[in-house]
Amino acid sequence: MSKKKSKQVDTSLRQFIKDLGYVSGGAALLATTPWLQSFTPDKAKEMKKEKARIGFIGTGSRGTYNIHAVLSLQHAEIVALCDIYPPNLKEASGLCPNAKTYTDYRKMLESADIDGVIISTPLYLHAPMTLDALDAGKHVYCEKAMALTMEECKAVYDAYRKTDKVLYFCVQRMFDKKYIKGMQMIHSGLIGEIVGERCHWFRNHDWRRPVPSPELERQINWRLYRDYSAGLMTELASHQLEVCCWAMQMVPESVIGTGDIVYWKDGREVYDSVNLVYHYSNGVKINYESLISNKFNGMEDQILGNKGTMNLATGIYYLEDEAGGKKSGIEQLIGQIGNKLYASVPAAGPSWRPETKEKYIPHTILEGEFHVNDGLSMIGALKDGSDEILSAFCQACITGEKGKNIVEEAYLATMLCHLGNQAMAEQKKITFPEEYKIPYMKFS
Amino acid sequence: MQKTGIDTGGTYYESSKMFHGSLQNIMGTRFDILIIDQNKLKSQEIWNDMVFELQRLDRIFNRFDSTSETSKINREAILEPVHVSLEMWTILKSCREYNIRTLGLFDITLDDFSKVLLDEREHTVIFLKKEMSLDFGGYAKGYALAKIKDLIHQAGVKHCFVNFGNSSILGVGHHPYGDAWKVSIENPYNPDEALDEISLRDEALSVSGNTPAYTGHIVRPASGETVKERKVVSITSKEPLEAEILSTAFMVATREEKKCLSGNFEIKNIIEYSL
Repeated sequence: MSKKKSKQVDTSLRQFIKDLGYVSGGAALLATTPWLQSFTPDKAKEMKKEKARIGFIGTGSRGTYNIHAVLSLQHAEIVALCDIYPPNLKEASGLCPNAKTYTDYRKMLESADIDGVIISTPLYLHAPMTLDALDAGKHVYCEKAMALTMEECKAVYDAYRKTDKVLYFCVQRMFDKKYIKGMQMIHSGLIGEIVGERCHWFRNHDWRRPVPSPELERQINWRLYRDYSAGLMTELASHQLEVCCWAMQMVPESVIGTGDIVYWKDGREVYDSVNLVYHYSNGVKINYESLISNKFNGMEDQILGNKGTMNLATGIYYLEDEAGGKKSGIEQLIGQIGNKLYASVPAAGPSWRPETKEKYIPHTILEGEFHVNDGLSMIGALKDGSDEILSAFCQACITGEKGKNIVEEAYLATMLCHLGNQAMAEQKKITFPEEYKIPYMKFS
Repeated sequence: MQKTGIDTGGTYYESSKMFHGSLQNIMGTRFDILIIDQNKLKSQEIWNDMVFELQRLDRIFNRFDSTSETSKINREAILEPVHVSLEMWTILKSCREYNIRTLGLFDITLDDFSKVLLDEREHTVIFLKKEMSLDFGGYAKGYALAKIKDLIHQAGVKHCFVNFGNSSILGVGHHPYGDAWKVSIENPYNPDEALDEISLRDEALSVSGNTPAYTGHIVRPASGETVKERKVVSITSKEPLEAEILSTAFMVATREEKKCLSGNFEIKNIIEYSL
């Protein structure tokens, strides 16, 4: 553990839990989000006035985002930085002048002065780096998705089962207030029985970064090549499929889908357009769509119940029995006469347009102002739970307490992405393979 | 078309002695009527007659239906004189009369009605200009509402309220708990704001104007200019057809023309709202 230098536990994380009403809400609420159990006031007392010593593997755009988040924490210090791309390493070093720099992460893992590592590297490196870091006795926080292949996911999951170290993946929606509160509402029956789920992520951008010289193309634009990336599924859909399962408290048993390169025909190997249907054993389906040559529809995680609709990404829900909004003039007049009332009828106007959709009354999940992610950034959005999950990890580096459900959720979400990719590649229905099922998952 | 035995729906509210008939898709819009103080059977009979009449008129005026009389004229009158039905003859004559009385502002050709030649003896029509056609958009609802008004009177109905697509409204008699039928006019640019409240007693109201989604559909004949201003005109008149014709004419009229129109017609109330 770290050399004691300082004083503060993370007050912001505590406030976050407080905002959610957990402190007064008690054990019943915590039972539904066990990964937040470590952050109650009682647990805070266990935290000594220590700082977690953190090493960064990967200091690109997402790495830098994470560096800024960790720098703002009282209970963490950045002691090491590693990257194979000199410009990024140099920039990160400017942010953390006291951190030792490395170009070989294995060398960095040999250092005894590091409690935990934060891995923000291309997907194909997640599994080898995570496994090496756990082997080296480090706590590990890795960006999503879990790994490039199903085999690697299983290997990481198995290693997690055996290790006594903390392992976190960036499933930040589990730490996003809107989602936590929205899920409480869903699970308390607000929108009735879940009958469908619709998620989409639309952008209009080629998903490229400028490349200083051609031999760096694959290193920098790794997202576009199959050996490095699993495309839209792991980069975008993974978050949303996790949310669907969280809401359903179940995992889909099969998936069909089709994927294509529709617009960005620039030599890339991953689809720029994907449409999938995931099927749960009770017949409920997830409709998933992502397209990166039109951004009209933005991003949304929508849970449909027989009594209402929860739009988790925008933090708004609608109730079925309020549909219809304003009654038409003639309906109001009929109501008036039935109630023996005389008032004016709002009927007249220059035109009449047929309505294709009933009007609903929007309700917000959280009171007051809250942040909504427009889904357009390639790096990450502010206040989407990423800061909280990083804070939670740094705290866990001090207490050694494993995060509950986090690896399991990351595993199932990543597996669903790979199964989706397989369904699209093979153009057939793919059933969740027995050998990849873990006890955590419920299929019926 | 069999008139008897058609099921035209409708809802009867026993405790209020009120019948609600509704057509969701007629003349490109929606039609609602509330008939007060008639028994269920009688109300249903009146409503059946109205549905029959509205559907008949829709078939005459619909220029997107190739079998309508309007389509036949539009297709053939550029080539040779087209013989028309007695009803169409009367309609065309009245359109010509209104064209003259509105200083050419009401024009079913949206161009130049003087190039439509009506042969009094043969009851034929021919267009003297190529690319000319008839569009009863600013006429048909008013004509239909006048026919509905006749049916209401023939049936002995004293109190009833008709809403024809929000832009053409007829109030016969009065509301069961008031001395007229009160309607408010919605601001198309802000649906929560009422521009005005109008009381109708044996009167028709016609509202014309631009909306955010639908601007530039009102054309000044001859010049072909469209009206782009954010404005709404409402006209109240005893005659549904005149209200209909004048609400459009006032949308395109200049100040001088408006003065003239006011003199040429008996109008209960004209209000122009600039938005």
